[in-house]
Amino acid sequence: MDRMACIDLPAFPLQLLLRRHGEWRDRPVAVVDSDRPQGKILWVNERARGYRILPGMRYAAGLSLAGDLHAAEMPAAEIDRAISSLGRRLRCFTPHVEPARDDPGVFWLDASGLERLYGSLPNWAGLIRSELRRSGLECNTTVGFSRFGTYALSKSKRGVLVLDRPADERAASRRVFLDRLALEPGVRETLGKLGIRTVGDFMDLPSEGIEKRFGSEIHRLHRLASGVLRLPLQPEAPVPPALQRLGLDHPVTNVARLMVVIERLLGPLLRTLADRNHVLSKLHVGFRFERLGDHIEGLRPAAPTLDAAQLLELVRLRLDALRKLPDGVVEVVVYAESMAATREQIGLFARRPRRDTAAANQALARVRAELGNDAVVRARLREAHLPEASFRWEAVEGVAVPRPREADQPTLVRRIYARPVPLPSRARHEPDGWMPRSLEQGPVVRVLGPYVVSGGWWRKPVHREYHFAETQKGELLWLYYDRPRRRWYLQGRVE
Amino acid sequence: MYVPLWCKSNFSFLEGASHPEELVEACAHLGIETLALTDHDGVYGVVEAHVKARESGVGLIIGSEVTLDDDSTLILLAKSREGHANLCRLITFGRRRSEKGESRVRWDEVCAHAAGLIVLWGGDRSLLVSEADPVFVAHDLKDAFGDRLYALATRHRRAEEPKREARLRRRAERYGIPVAAGTEVLYHKPARREVQDVLTCIRHGVTLSGAGRRIKPNAEHALKPPHAFTALFHDDPAAVARTLEIAGRCSFSLAALRYRYPSEKLPDGTTSSGWLRKLTFDGARERYGGPASPEMIRQLEKELDLIDELDYGGYFLTMWEIVRFCRERGILCQGRGSAANSAVCYCLGITAVDPVRMGLLFERFLSRERAEPPDIDLDIEHERREEVIQHVYEKYGRSHAAMVCNFIRYRSRSAIREVGKVLGVAETALDRLSKLMSHHGGLAPETLMHAGLDPEQEVHGHLLRLAGEILDFPRHLSIHPGGFLLGHEPVSDLVPIENASMPDRTVIQWDKDCLEELGLFKVDLLGLGALHQLHLGFDLIEEHHGESWSMATIPGKDGSTFDMICKADTVGVFQIESRAQMAMLPRLKPRTYYDLVVEVSIVRPGPITGGMVHPYLRRRSGDEPVVYPHPSLEPVLKKTLGVPLFQEQVIRLAMVAADYTPGEADQLRRDMAAWRRSGRIERHHQRLVDRMTSKGIATEFAERVFEQIRGFGEYGFPESHAASFALIAWATAWMKCHYPEAFACSLLNAQPMGFYSAATIIDDAKRHGVEIRPVDVTRSHWNCTLETGDARTAKTGDSHPGKTGDRYPFLTTAAGKRVTHSKKGTCPQFSGPQFLRRRFPIRMGLRYVKGLSKRSWERIETARGERSFSAVEDFVERTRLDEGSLTRLAEAGALSALDGDRRSAMWRVASTSSAQGAASSSARKRGRRLPMTTRERLPLFAALDDSETINWDYRTTRHSPRGHPLAPLRPQLEKRRLPDATRVAAMKDGERVRYAGLVICRQRPGTASGVVFMTLEDETGFVNVVVWSRVFEKHAVLIKTTSFLGVTGKLQVQDGVTHLIADTFWIPRVGARPESGGSHDFH
Repeated sequence: MDRMACIDLPAFPLQLLLRRHGEWRDRPVAVVDSDRPQGKILWVNERARGYRILPGMRYAAGLSLAGDLHAAEMPAAEIDRAISSLGRRLRCFTPHVEPARDDPGVFWLDASGLERLYGSLPNWAGLIRSELRRSGLECNTTVGFSRFGTYALSKSKRGVLVLDRPADERAASRRVFLDRLALEPGVRETLGKLGIRTVGDFMDLPSEGIEKRFGSEIHRLHRLASGVLRLPLQPEAPVPPALQRLGLDHPVTNVARLMVVIERLLGPLLRTLADRNHVLSKLHVGFRFERLGDHIEGLRPAAPTLDAAQLLELVRLRLDALRKLPDGVVEVVVYAESMAATREQIGLFARRPRRDTAAANQALARVRAELGNDAVVRARLREAHLPEASFRWEAVEGVAVPRPREADQPTLVRRIYARPVPLPSRARHEPDGWMPRSLEQGPVVRVLGPYVVSGGWWRKPVHREYHFAETQKGELLWLYYDRPRRRWYLQGRVE
Repeated sequence: MYVPLWCKSNFSFLEGASHPEELVEACAHLGIETLALTDHDGVYGVVEAHVKARESGVGLIIGSEVTLDDDSTLILLAKSREGHANLCRLITFGRRRSEKGESRVRWDEVCAHAAGLIVLWGGDRSLLVSEADPVFVAHDLKDAFGDRLYALATRHRRAEEPKREARLRRRAERYGIPVAAGTEVLYHKPARREVQDVLTCIRHGVTLSGAGRRIKPNAEHALKPPHAFTALFHDDPAAVARTLEIAGRCSFSLAALRYRYPSEKLPDGTTSSGWLRKLTFDGARERYGGPASPEMIRQLEKELDLIDELDYGGYFLTMWEIVRFCRERGILCQGRGSAANSAVCYCLGITAVDPVRMGLLFERFLSRERAEPPDIDLDIEHERREEVIQHVYEKYGRSHAAMVCNFIRYRSRSAIREVGKVLGVAETALDRLSKLMSHHGGLAPETLMHAGLDPEQEVHGHLLRLAGEILDFPRHLSIHPGGFLLGHEPVSDLVPIENASMPDRTVIQWDKDCLEELGLFKVDLLGLGALHQLHLGFDLIEEHHGESWSMATIPGKDGSTFDMICKADTVGVFQIESRAQMAMLPRLKPRTYYDLVVEVSIVRPGPITGGMVHPYLRRRSGDEPVVYPHPSLEPVLKKTLGVPLFQEQVIRLAMVAADYTPGEADQLRRDMAAWRRSGRIERHHQRLVDRMTSKGIATEFAERVFEQIRGFGEYGFPESHAASFALIAWATAWMKCHYPEAFACSLLNAQPMGFYSAATIIDDAKRHGVEIRPVDVTRSHWNCTLETGDARTAKTGDSHPGKTGDRYPFLTTAAGKRVTHSKKGTCPQFSGPQFLRRRFPIRMGLRYVKGLSKRSWERIETARGERSFSAVEDFVERTRLDEGSLTRLAEAGALSALDGDRRSAMWRVASTSSAQGAASSSARKRGRRLPMTTRERLPLFAALDDSETINWDYRTTRHSPRGHPLAPLRPQLEKRRLPDATRVAAMKDGERVRYAGLVICRQRPGTASGVVFMTLEDETGFVNVVVWSRVFEKHAVLIKTTSFLGVTGKLQVQDGVTHLIADTFWIPRVGARPESGGSHDFH
């Protein structure tokens, strides 16, 4: 009979948190769903339990019990990454690994035939445990015969348990308490009220009654537990990254030759993506230099694409910008970030507007390719009083058709300097008038202001008295007196 | 010189950053002669400003910045009384049609209410500076206001202002509107800018770093000194001078408000004075069953003359009318507070205590010197208070009656939370910090440290400072518990009326302090749960025993009731049921009504902090001679054995011993009432002590009296108030003693109220021999009921309730007269010393099934009315309750009559209800009838044991009629040598005890220096535990979180009162964890 193992890493998100914050190990720690007083506590360590902090409580309630309770969120993405990483590691011990979908930290492994390779199944299970311990994770392992039996026992038994006969597994799993399993709290509570405390009690309930009262998921669990439903292992197939690599016999310093190499690699890469029904959203081109080591360039097309010519054009622009390679390239790697293709991306039915924004975006992509990824930006207005804080530069992802507002009358434009220009201090007596800049512009003949901008008292106090100064030559200066610094600055010009 | 015409105080909620008084004070300091207070869409702060302005000699113009329906604003100033009325009416229009907190008036309404108002048109949100030219509005305003329309040019040193001002001036010239200069004043000094920024962020729900342009760009919204204002408008001195011209035109002051109380409908040819006199003397005859005593008549004449002289007759007639309405509707009500000092109130039936016999001081209620309107508080059974409130609205009309508002102000916790959020402090840190703070205490650096925050960090420094600065700032409006302002003229001519958040309620923009300051009459209609309970109790007695009792007819002397009180058997008895009161009762041993008055008053912070309790008890028990600190004080303190216990005594003491003039004494009374807010009580300290010692009174006594005055400020009872409450306490105690099942049933139906949970009330009833029957869908009603089927006979008390028959001498002598509540109008007659009465079991009501709605009950009632339920499936089918309700009923054992096993019932309802849900949805789709449910195999579930049964009861209904959660565990507890409460009570002083019980009360009074008092309960009774602060700190987690608790300590038995002084706490290891009915925790 095929052997199957289940590995359970209890309170897996908490284990990950403690691995991240090793200094918290001796303190009460909890994983919360959000880091707010009303955040719900999801998992706690033993020390927190000692303070009677339990899952389900609010974070504020936990804090009132232990002032030094440490808590953090554990993002789902991080847990998923950790599961993927663990899956890869476990595949070193068996080719077939299936992570549980709804219970993070549970894996089923194919254990058939491994006793010959590892001497015995307890030995094999022990090695897995040691391997996980080395990376700071604790686990319980049960080697048995069925999906449910191994799962239930690994949830309830500490350490390694290897069962020799299916009957032993059935008998042992009947004794497992239901609160050990990852049941919905509502279901667990209802079953508890009915006096159904163990898997055995649960199995004794009538199957049709279960479905009616608890729904198909619990009914499926019931069928699994009672052996009516036997699901074989459904191992996760590893997805190789979309990557192409080519080692070069001789170091290449010529860009044109390098382009030929990249073109050769790009074709298979795009075919791989097409087979997966994906399109490329970002292309990474890596060079291994003979002496200088590795270097990677990232290129983003105007829209996710499988168009090799467009991508090659972007690569060419980027390499042309480099002008000359600093060292000979001995290996080239291309790999892609991709996403599922959508109908819009294919663009079959897209109507072409009068202004071709797609063309504009392609042009911007070329600018980025030539001048760098941060080369294309635009000013975004912000709600702030200080001129330099009233906008910020942001990268342009794509352009839209502009809709300018109609101006009823021409307005003056204030040009702001990237950095305010310090001005010489204003003399107490100015026989020739105030000359903030140079003699050429002449003295100031008219000043408007002051207009006061002050604030930021909670961080860094600011107090500026702005003026518009007109020089004899007609230049309009936008300047301010910085009161904390006690000096004048030129903020910009008015045109 | 100039006049600031656009000033907003912190009554422009979450916008202005100074109190009105601060603005006025700043004006006085800067030499500004007049100030206009123009809070947006309201006149909330004008009374505070008016009082301060009167004190400091600054002129006050009343106005408001009103919001129009196009979202623009206008500033309106009241030129005359008519203008004030128009302003209030306009705001009322705007407020009444808008959501709470908002106001929108229409332009045509503004023009229609132009009389007596001056308009300032300007500011950022004004149409006069907007891009579109408001040509039509401008002409309409000009037509309506004529030369009372001004353009307001405002300057705050912002770059965009010159362009707007140029636009405003162009338009002003075009429409012929003169321009006045101004700034928008939001705070009285530039340093408050930070507070204004914080308030703005709170209003918008953003942090300071994310506030952007929502906060003002600079600190130019402070009140400017005249020279700075003149410099700001140096180019237009005429506009500055115009501010003075406008101020000169505004002559209205709040002092000019003339208020008339609404007159009642009088019989033809009768004046209100004559009608009041007639009603009073008619009432006296009814009260005394004949002519009143000469002493009473003298008192009534004196009071009526004064009421007549002060023209307060209408107010008394209103109160009489409300009381009459309550009587007609069978609503229990009773006057409380200082009104109990008035013989007129007593004879009109407003109060129930005879002030002449009690020797109460009428001047505490009404006096010529004080010239303040009387304040009559009427307690109404809380379930029916809304009826009375709506009656008042109906009788006087929404325009002539509105409820008084209550300003919700920042207290330390709310200030910390909101300022901290704005500063970006982590919410968890704020939560921890606010939990460490008391409600009224300030925030100190040590508290920050305790919460794990570094006081040295700049952000925490800001938090400390700003949270302190916004303390006491009004945040929003709520409704006063029951205060009404009634007016002969529409109330909206005096003060704007707005919608409250509660439906069918309208409130004025002034609170009770404002009314008091302006001498306006307030009618207080307060809700009291105990009256509702009494009403329910009297109804039950009448229905089941056929005896008709009322507050007025219950006997005043009843030995068995006093015996019960002396034994502190007072769970559920109004006012004397708390742990502290129960500890006092065996020491004070009340045997008369006046003892109860003392009992109600003595367990209060006033007497406790003043150190008056123990001297009184020693003197009462004869352990200490009754001496007076000065012979002159004997008349003042004689009733309370030389120890001042009541507020009136403290006032009289100040007058007699410290030679306080009536004016000073009145000031002392006000300062006592307001000390928490102002700390003004301290100014009396030296004066009182010095004057008393100079009269030969010991310094120690003088200091103690002052401590008590301070304590009274915190919370102290006037004698009249205590007398009213003692009456209700007596009535509830009497009912508990003689009709324990009616008492318990009514108390359960009046929940939530009082000190104890339903479980404790039920256990107490069971200990008094009352049978409690569980909830049952075939028998229970929504409320608890007394069942008649197999009632048994039992002895109640050692004498029948009417044996000692005399009604309370200070209550009434109107034989058989039902003062409050009567159906038959007769009193029961009893015979024989041992009164045997039928005992009715209490059937618990379905209201006690947690999560079951009244709507669900109505479905059950309807289905049950058609025919009895035959089975669980029949019940589910016909009631069509949702699955949650069905499960809860099954779990609570309410389906036991249909299926004896709760687990089986749960399984069955789940099946039927889910099938019903699925079938009904598919039936809905197909438009067909429901298919019959198919039968399925019923699993065999383990039966619940006793402990589980009781725990299930507690979990679903917070009580168990079947037993106490500790009863099934008793053998295990005994095995561990843990005694029950009865055995603990029988132990000796000094004995060491280990005890385990359920926590039903945790209390940490502010007056107890960190000592925690707990009450633990088991199936035999209570054990009171005292936890010293060091023990509490050590075991805080256990004490705060565990309901089933073990305690080891030493017994302290004194005067028959037993306390367990705790050393350690632990969790009793008895296997099962008993459920608890919940603990009432207090600070």
